[in-house]
Amino acid sequence: MPLAGPIEALLAVTLVGGLVVMLAPDEHAGKLATVISLLPLAGSLWMYATFEGAGNALLGGELAFESTVGWVELAAYELSWHVGLDGVSMPLLLLTTVLTTLALVSSWTPIDERESQFYGLMLLMETSLIGVFVALDFFVWLVFWEFVLVPMYFLIGVWGGPRRRYAAIKFFIYTNVATLVMFVGYAALVFALGDSVSSFDLPAVAQALQVQGNLGTFFGIEPPVLRLVAFTLLFAGFAVKVPVFPLHTWLPDAHVEAPTPVSVMLAGVLLKMGTYALLRFNFTMLSDTALANEGIIVAFGVFSVIYGALLALAQQDLKRIVAYSSISSMGYVIVGLVALTPHGIGGATFQMISHGLISGLLFMAVGVIYNETHTRMVGDISGIADRMPWTVGVFLAAAFGYMGLPFMSGFAAEYLVFLGAFDSGIPYAPLVTAVAMFGIVVVAGYLLWAMQRTLFGEYGLATDYDVSRAPVHDVVPLVVLLVLVIALGSQPSLVYGMIQEATAPLVPTTLVPGGELLW
Amino acid sequence: MAGVYDFVPAIAALPFLAFLVSLFFGRYMPKRGAEAGVIATAGSLGLSTWTALTVAGFTGPATSYNANLYTWVQGVGDGALTLSLGVLVDPLAALMLLIVSLISFLVHVFSLGYMNDEGETGLPRYYAGLGLFTASMLAFVFSNNLLMAFMFFELVGLCSYLLIGFWFRDDGPPSAAKKAFLVTRFGDYFFLVGVVGVFATFGTGLFAPITDGGTVVAESFPQVAEHALGGEASVETFGLETGTWFTVLGLLVLGGVIGKSAQFPLHTWLPDAMEGPTPVSALIHAATMVAAGVYLVARMYGFYLLSPQALAVIALVGGFTALFAATMGVVKQELKQVLAYSTISQYGYMMLALGAGGYTAAVFHLTTHAVFKALLFLGAGSVIIAMHHEENMWTMGGLKDRMPVTYYTFLSGSLALAGIVPFAGFWSKDEVLFEALVHGLGTLETEASMVGTLLLVGYAMGLLAVFFTAFYTFRMVFLTFHGDARTDAARDATENRWNVTFPLAVLGIGAATVGFINMVPVAELTGAEIEFLHDWLAHGGIDATTTETYSELLHDVAGIEAAELGALGPGAVSLALALAGVGTAWTLYNVPDPVEQTDKLGGLKTLLVHNYYQDEYQVWLAQGVTVPLARAADRFDQGVVDGVVNGISSVSLFTGSRFRRIQSGLVTNYAALMTLSLVLLLIVFVLAGEVMG
Repeated sequence: MPLAGPIEALLAVTLVGGLVVMLAPDEHAGKLATVISLLPLAGSLWMYATFEGAGNALLGGELAFESTVGWVELAAYELSWHVGLDGVSMPLLLLTTVLTTLALVSSWTPIDERESQFYGLMLLMETSLIGVFVALDFFVWLVFWEFVLVPMYFLIGVWGGPRRRYAAIKFFIYTNVATLVMFVGYAALVFALGDSVSSFDLPAVAQALQVQGNLGTFFGIEPPVLRLVAFTLLFAGFAVKVPVFPLHTWLPDAHVEAPTPVSVMLAGVLLKMGTYALLRFNFTMLSDTALANEGIIVAFGVFSVIYGALLALAQQDLKRIVAYSSISSMGYVIVGLVALTPHGIGGATFQMISHGLISGLLFMAVGVIYNETHTRMVGDISGIADRMPWTVGVFLAAAFGYMGLPFMSGFAAEYLVFLGAFDSGIPYAPLVTAVAMFGIVVVAGYLLWAMQRTLFGEYGLATDYDVSRAPVHDVVPLVVLLVLVIALGSQPSLVYGMIQEATAPLVPTTLVPGGELLW
Repeated sequence: MAGVYDFVPAIAALPFLAFLVSLFFGRYMPKRGAEAGVIATAGSLGLSTWTALTVAGFTGPATSYNANLYTWVQGVGDGALTLSLGVLVDPLAALMLLIVSLISFLVHVFSLGYMNDEGETGLPRYYAGLGLFTASMLAFVFSNNLLMAFMFFELVGLCSYLLIGFWFRDDGPPSAAKKAFLVTRFGDYFFLVGVVGVFATFGTGLFAPITDGGTVVAESFPQVAEHALGGEASVETFGLETGTWFTVLGLLVLGGVIGKSAQFPLHTWLPDAMEGPTPVSALIHAATMVAAGVYLVARMYGFYLLSPQALAVIALVGGFTALFAATMGVVKQELKQVLAYSTISQYGYMMLALGAGGYTAAVFHLTTHAVFKALLFLGAGSVIIAMHHEENMWTMGGLKDRMPVTYYTFLSGSLALAGIVPFAGFWSKDEVLFEALVHGLGTLETEASMVGTLLLVGYAMGLLAVFFTAFYTFRMVFLTFHGDARTDAARDATENRWNVTFPLAVLGIGAATVGFINMVPVAELTGAEIEFLHDWLAHGGIDATTTETYSELLHDVAGIEAAELGALGPGAVSLALALAGVGTAWTLYNVPDPVEQTDKLGGLKTLLVHNYYQDEYQVWLAQGVTVPLARAADRFDQGVVDGVVNGISSVSLFTGSRFRRIQSGLVTNYAALMTLSLVLLLIVFVLAGEVMG
């Protein structure tokens, strides 16, 4: 196997690019970073075009662009550089590179101090995000997973709003503690597997866990209980990132304080780290545990959907509205994953991509409005549709995308999740699904209300700024995202085919109706 | 066979193209995008006509068409459904395509007079909206499965939002647009649950089976359901009895119908929707959005026929809405408001017919109503132009002589709406009531006597509504066109240009004559075979969607029977009631100087003027219940959930202050510390693993 493949090239280019930008003069940093980000974008597009993976990365599927290099040996465990792509990680990689480039362009207007550091950190964050989605060895993965926090911390803490320090520290500590919890869960599993694995490699561990009898006792904990404990620790750890109620309170603060491009990355990609990890660990390695506890897990998902939507309804700050609605949308991912049916898991994965694009789009649109008005409060703005028609047009389209308008990606994702959950082993599946689906009414309520107040009616602005048309480079990223959202909504198979290839092996061959509670 | 069916998608694609052209290039065009819309809808009309002729058998043997054309989601692996978009053209769809494209074409032409000549701005946006609206509705009509129907149903909702809120600088239209979308979205929620349920139950959403050379390659869900009821197939019914589950599914889908077709209790959005430009109102009410709901029930009628309970609910909702809305129409002051309530009421009649097993009657009334309601709205638009956008009827009067074309066409539409022989509405409304009566009476003596009773209740309400309909219609005519002019604007009103009068003339003739396609009482009297619509719907290349099949199902599965009864007697009763309504309106309002007369209603007036306080309770549900709930959730989230988080952090901060020496406050140090502790942790675990191993 060659020492370096396309994935390594991708990571290296982005990393070096980030360092170069940090040294560049401020006035050129934005353009330079954008141009550099086109390289990983082009690379990932090429990988998408030539993608030949099949099956699930963890369950013995055919990996694309795989490479393995032995690294160090720690006690009985081998650490290796193991990266590769399957149908789940390929679209997420693409989402990362696309959103980064667009977020960089959308930074040109709002970011006007310490540009080189800002753009450099954005590229460093892209590097680590790519790493999270391509890494297949646990330690490689963990390094990237943790490293994401560092640029994010500074991006919020330096360029953020008035309460940026509070938000940044809250974000950092909260997610860091979560990592610890998750780490303990995974390590316990690996050690309890004993001799059946010789590394922390994700596929190796996942496959070892599929074989009955491999899992031994760990500190006197019997295997069934151990599975449950590990599942709970992993779930709790990842739930913070998603975020799932009640571990979500860092999100609104982080979003409100973060500058818009950072919000775009946060909602668009960082939240997907959580659901991606849930998919890889909880619903791949321990899918039997998930299946046995579907009732309680789905309750978290459904509650997040409705609760997040209700919270969004109570907000006055446009960014807070989108932030809380993200909690709601990510609840659908949980519902789809736990259904463990073909369209359930597939739809949940598709929702990760779809929500990444749509929430990014909506945050950017809010950002463009903020650039002109310097306020995001619903009561401060009215009737700006006249002043910035194209921005408002795209905002409107994005909002309808968020509401799940057909022929936009959100509808496809949500419909697939609903279809997958309705006929699944979840207790009272039709009823539970129907409750979750009520989110589509509430989301329409708060978005339509906010739009009516801000976009329409007589023009008025509480701040002392003159609103005019947004510059072209502010609107272009919005249009690109909108086109992508419509393309994926009209032809989900652009990514849904490969997603299903990778998620189909996760579907249990015999569904346990009702699901036994192990608690 | 390459033929007209290959071009059916173009019927919707043309207006969609017009949408794109108007949106992006409209401002460079002399008529600001209207050109694209007019040409596209003319093209759609041509193609629809050709399609209808082919279905009818003018170009060869009569045929129908059903095929999947586009794979939206390809299922991979076991148990993953594949979701497709396709085209179904049978007599019902062909007829509806014709209606929608005709009305849409006329509305586009009319808009030249109503919007362009009035110097409106934002016209590219307007014509783009109209184009997308038309395209979505046409695609909805030829949808061959429930999911596709839902998707275009939602797009129709989006377009109504965009068009009702067209004048976004005022406060009213954006609010009305929001309400229209939100209320219909509430109904669509149930619809979507129903769609998901249908797919989960039957594995398909096809309305009609797809055949290839005589063999069925894909069964439709109503068929599978029928087999399941007969015990020939088994489907997942989620723990319910098969029949009960089908009723639940039917009622869930009905939620969307009640929302879009503005049936009680989700009718409240429609009167507000009058905030939109009048041509849009014509389009929404006559042929598109509101018609979509009723059309959906007709489209999947084979499924509803399996559940007499669902049918009874449909009939009852319809009959009640017909009467309920008609009474509110009686006290309205604005021209368009009267028409709005009449729309709600008339769609109630269609629902009544569908619930009572009168499939043909419902389609008939859908057809005639599309013509005369489009006419009335466009006529109202013509008056509004002449009155310089004043809509209150009390400011009008005496327009008859100054706007003859508008008057006589409007009169034609009013006679049709009131149900006066021989105008279109008479024949169709008469058949609706007749079907409800005979099926109610016939079923009364069977085991399903409860259903029979409900049908008769629906009939009684529908019959009573005839009087009110005739009354408010002619109150409107007299106040607007008769008597003396009451304002300067009314005295100076003049007739409009060709682009207004031409659509009026076409529709005016239609309103007088469309009823002739199905004169049941005349057929009975003379024995002549002139029930063309009956014949049209009874045949077709797809047996599963013909009225022959439907009447079998109605009899065999739903257990609804028809009583032996002549059509003449009931027809005479409803005609007499209509004439009584016209007469009452004549006495009260056809005077030179009419007065309101509503004081005679006493306390009832307050109730009617406030629309039975329907808006109030719905606004209360949103603002009095949901918003406080959201605020409470927000307080809980900030106070309790986040409070715990901050509490934990305070505790650790306190503890942390003891360790202040290693806390430099620099994040770089924290990061280093974090990495260090991770490595430590790792080593500990590896060692532990060693020990364990």
